[in-house]
Amino acid sequence: METIVSNKLQQFVVGLDPTQMSMPHALQLTAQNHLLAQDFPTTKSERFKYTRLAKLANAQMSNSLLLEKAQLSQQKILTDAYTVYINNKQIILPADLPSGLQIKLNTEEPDTFHEASFYDVFGALNILYAQNGISIRVAKNCTLDKPIQIIQVNSGGKYFYRHHFNFGENAEAAVFIVTKSTTDSNSFAHTHFQYDIAQSARIKVYKIQDCCAGHFDFHEDRAKQNATSHFEINTLTLDGSFVRNDTMVAVQGEHAQTYLNGAYWLKEEQHVANYTTIDHQVANCESFETYKGVAGDKATAVFNGKVFVRKDAQKTNAYQSNANVLLSDSASVNSKPELEIYADDVKCSHGSTTGQLDENALFYLRARGLSAATAKTLLLQAFMEDVLTYVKHDEALAYVHQRIAERFDWNY
Amino acid sequence: MSNYTENELAKDLENQEYKFGFVTDIESDTVPVGLDEGIIRLISSKKNEPQWLLDYRLKAYAIWQEMTEPEWAHVRYQKPDFQGISYYSAPKQTKKYESWDDVDPEMKETMKKLGISMEEQQRLTGVAVDFVMDSVSVATSFKEKLSELGIIFCSFSDAVQEHPALVQKYMGTVVPSTDNFYAALNGAVFTDGSFCYIPKGVRCPMELSTYFRINAGGTGQFERTLVVADEGAYVSYLEGCTAPQRDENQLHAAVVELIALQDAEIKYSTVQNWYPGDKEGKGGVFNFVTKRGICENNAKISWTQVETGSAVTWKYPSCILKGDHSVGEFYSVAVTNNHQQADTGTKMVHLGKNTKSTIISKGISAGKSQNSYRGLVQIHKGAHNARNFSQCDSLLMTDECGAHTFPYIECKNPSAKIEHEATTSKIGEDQLFYCMQRGISEEKAISLIVNGYCKEVLNQLPMEFAVEAQKLLAISLEGSVG
Repeated sequence: METIVSNKLQQFVVGLDPTQMSMPHALQLTAQNHLLAQDFPTTKSERFKYTRLAKLANAQMSNSLLLEKAQLSQQKILTDAYTVYINNKQIILPADLPSGLQIKLNTEEPDTFHEASFYDVFGALNILYAQNGISIRVAKNCTLDKPIQIIQVNSGGKYFYRHHFNFGENAEAAVFIVTKSTTDSNSFAHTHFQYDIAQSARIKVYKIQDCCAGHFDFHEDRAKQNATSHFEINTLTLDGSFVRNDTMVAVQGEHAQTYLNGAYWLKEEQHVANYTTIDHQVANCESFETYKGVAGDKATAVFNGKVFVRKDAQKTNAYQSNANVLLSDSASVNSKPELEIYADDVKCSHGSTTGQLDENALFYLRARGLSAATAKTLLLQAFMEDVLTYVKHDEALAYVHQRIAERFDWNY
Repeated sequence: MSNYTENELAKDLENQEYKFGFVTDIESDTVPVGLDEGIIRLISSKKNEPQWLLDYRLKAYAIWQEMTEPEWAHVRYQKPDFQGISYYSAPKQTKKYESWDDVDPEMKETMKKLGISMEEQQRLTGVAVDFVMDSVSVATSFKEKLSELGIIFCSFSDAVQEHPALVQKYMGTVVPSTDNFYAALNGAVFTDGSFCYIPKGVRCPMELSTYFRINAGGTGQFERTLVVADEGAYVSYLEGCTAPQRDENQLHAAVVELIALQDAEIKYSTVQNWYPGDKEGKGGVFNFVTKRGICENNAKISWTQVETGSAVTWKYPSCILKGDHSVGEFYSVAVTNNHQQADTGTKMVHLGKNTKSTIISKGISAGKSQNSYRGLVQIHKGAHNARNFSQCDSLLMTDECGAHTFPYIECKNPSAKIEHEATTSKIGEDQLFYCMQRGISEEKAISLIVNGYCKEVLNQLPMEFAVEAQKLLAISLEGSVG
């Protein structure tokens, strides 16, 4: 492909190889067209209103440095799981998979691709430059005995990944996606997750984002859900200076349930943005969204949730809530919960709050002899616990608690 | 009347689409169609304006030419041809009326049809009406009584002539021409409007009200309203609109500026019932309005609106809570039917300490309409202990309409408390059943439920307006049972 370096975005992709995945031509064409004469979006564009990309545009990524196998395996958070390690361009697949579970490289086993559904230049770049990725298939009626764990560690460089998940009819699985980065390295990773959830499948995805400063962690989730399926994405952002999650779930079968939850604990100069879209295309479905976060120091949190109810999606029940606590004068929160509704027989609601801890509750605890700091910590922990109750895995929960305790000096 | 058959009645009812759809035949003084510097100079000279105002217009025009029409709103329409509009139209007789009897009988008739007969208003309600037909104010009443208190309430052009210092001091301070496309256009071509000044410590004894009308065919109305409440003053201002039925789209791009100085309070109520277009979505008024108020210390601005008309509405009455302890309120009922589209809401910008804002928005969508709430709550760094409560409810009447909510909440101060909640649902079937079971017809039951649903907002309206608004709600939703 001929490249004329005329702007920062084009500069950004210099040196990246075009994708090796056998992608539909139409998809690539759409991406190419989208990128024509495009530069990094500015805060004038609606989806980047609260996100300044200058930092990314001007960042110098460090050289890629591969980790040793032993170092990599230390990064895992679950001891008993089917673990995939991804370190920059290297992917290590697990051996000894049970029948019903298949994990392959996406470059080897070309999967079906969803039609283009990206909202920004990064989604388009991913289509053109995705080098790596895995394809996971869970067969019909298969209930996995242990979770799948994907440990993605970046140590310098720029990466676009494309992971495909295919869950068969009535399958049940839990997937832990852990993104990390090594200290003292500048890196960028944009990961596209594509989920196909067949009828009656029960799928729980947990994302644990625990990157170091200097890493840009971009996620793009696109899911298609079939009838009577249950699908959850729980995004826990523990650390990372620049995190952006863009989740879209298309609910295409009746009586499906969708849960999107998120929790973020921010301090220093962290910027975390969560964008969600739930597209209710058919009738009788339910969706629940709970995003909660605390922001201290100079951190900024962004939440933009959209519930889209199409004309035929009668009897939809959608609930969305976003609650934030600001801990410092320089922190900021931007929340935009949206409803776009074209069907009449629906129950849709959303709520958003930004504030501080309840003084009565603080007083109650202090009157019982707790120090101001302990009382505050306790209430903040309780505030965030709403989301953590969705984490149905003790080891993962312990990891999350431990990391928060380390960063915020909160003792669990 | 003996041979008036049922069929004829049905026919009459069918034609009775828009109750206030009529055109008054008064000779209008209209400038050529189109917009350029020459037209602006012509408007300015026709109105005998001072140089600074002409400069203001020309500057706004220059700004407007640099701007593009905003496209972010959730509405679709054929963009108006700005060169196809006549920017000035005034009833021919330019002499002012000495007494009510001098007023053109035809115009009196118009007012009667609107249900705002001057005599009645004067006698019964004590409301001073600054009646604006097309763009020049024709009759003003109660002026004397108000002037005793030092209150200035007159048309914008009169204010420019009589109180140029006041106008120059405040005009464009809340909505500068650079604000947006329509505000810039208004700044360049506004023809008339209302001006109101309440002096220090004066409580305006009556509700001030202006009826806006669009009349001559093909003229857009570019009203400019400026309300200044000096320290400790109070005023309640009413604005209501009805427009005659027209096939071509009529553009309405008004600017309203409210200035509440220290300890002042302004209550601004609107009932908007421009022509919404026919059942097929043909015609109707484009209502692209910029309304904003600024509050100094301890001041309060309260916006109440009942929006039932217009084909396309694009309107965000806002409050800039600049002073400490200032309060902003926004109460809104927006009804859309047939092919109407509304994108309306508010902006609450908290700058001062201990500022408070309340947003109550009730949207009702019927027919094939689209109704959106779009609001911004912005807490700036210095706005300690800012408090906001927002509630946006939407009611859907048919399965072909849409109701949308786009709230923006931006917080930069940790001591602020912001709550936002929104719901969207259908009219409660159990409620309908309950009413109908008790012998209330479906239409009446819906009207009852809708009125109850809007009560919180309607309660904010002055009495006579509230009655009018309730009637309007019922008329707007006629035949909308889904």
